Amino acid sequence: MGIQDTDKTLPSNRMVFELRRDEQKYLAFKQDIEASMAAYGLSDEEKRAWRDMDIEALGAMGVHPYFLPQISRLFKGGSRNHNDSDAARLYAEKMGIASQD
Amino acid sequence: MAKIVATLGVAHAPGVTGWIDKAPQHEQDGVLDGYAQFQKLMDEVRPDVVIGIANDHLLNFPLDNIPDFCVGIGEQWAGPAPWFRDWLNVPDYTVRGHRDLGRALVRESARAGINHAFADKLLFDDNWSVPLKFLFPRYDVRFVPIHMNPIVPPVPSAAHCYAVGETIARIVQAFPSDERVVIMGTGGLSHDPGGKDYFTVHEEFDRWFLALMEEGNAGRVKRELTFEKLLTGGDGGAAELLAWVVAMGAAEVAGNARAETVFYVPSVPMRCGMGGVYWRLE
Repeated sequence: MGIQDTDKTLPSNRMVFELRRDEQKYLAFKQDIEASMAAYGLSDEEKRAWRDMDIEALGAMGVHPYFLPQISRLFKGGSRNHNDSDAARLYAEKMGIASQD
Repeated sequence: MAKIVATLGVAHAPGVTGWIDKAPQHEQDGVLDGYAQFQKLMDEVRPDVVIGIANDHLLNFPLDNIPDFCVGIGEQWAGPAPWFRDWLNVPDYTVRGHRDLGRALVRESARAGINHAFADKLLFDDNWSVPLKFLFPRYDVRFVPIHMNPIVPPVPSAAHCYAVGETIARIVQAFPSDERVVIMGTGGLSHDPGGKDYFTVHEEFDRWFLALMEEGNAGRVKRELTFEKLLTGGDGGAAELLAWVVAMGAAEVAGNARAETVFYVPSVPMRCGMGGVYWRLE
């Protein structure tokens, strides 16, 4: 799983792209993830992964790797994103890797 | 005519502004001292204009339509983009653009056979927010951002990036002004945002790359800095070093292809091989 395995047309890629660029869309995502996922036309498999915050599964489906830590920040926030932050720990847990310095 | 007074390559990883206190003291000191050395070099060469080359990070260009390079031709820039503010922990800033030079880069590159996209507006993240804060803390230069694609294959080859840099230099040298210009590639060194090596730094790769820059051999860069080689420095991270290759191509045209390493600090807490090189031209 890497940048060569990206499925550029996967709807989740469009969703992440826009959520980081548009504060209103990000706010709407945080308030109602189901509505956002429906609006971007995510498949049932993608929706299940988002509900479970299953970052590795999203990567396996073809979400661009650069978006994967950003997904952890969409859920847990980006402030103080050190290796022991909630976002980095979520990333480590879901990717099955150790987060220690 | 305008003059290229220096070119450089330097890391832009957000840990240095966002959470550097989590790194051991020697790493903090090494990185901050390294950026301070760059600031001192900039104070010495006193650029009027900075042309930057860095990863767009899939921020302005989506996967359905992503250019190799996009030249920012706006007259005014601001950063960081809102979603990145708390992550980067840098003050909001503005910096003047340079429309005439940006347009010249697009127009004359096309004449040289290189197709650049262009844009009046671009969102900035760590790509510019980190290096501008340290190298130009007064934001008192005119800035031409060039956003590139090193992370969505197919990415431009090292040979193409080198030619892009050579062409930029020739255009600057023919630009009718007396401005002093720095060409600044940002990104790298080894890191892996989005892969299994997120918490890993590839020091061996980094030292190999720094030696490559120091040697100044264009043929070796074009031959050995393949896409596959870049992946070994972190899938989707180390290829940002192609921006440094642009700076090297420009440096050779301006008279010196051999870089000097200003600093290198491999830092797992900052999740990046932090460092930078400088091509002295004056």
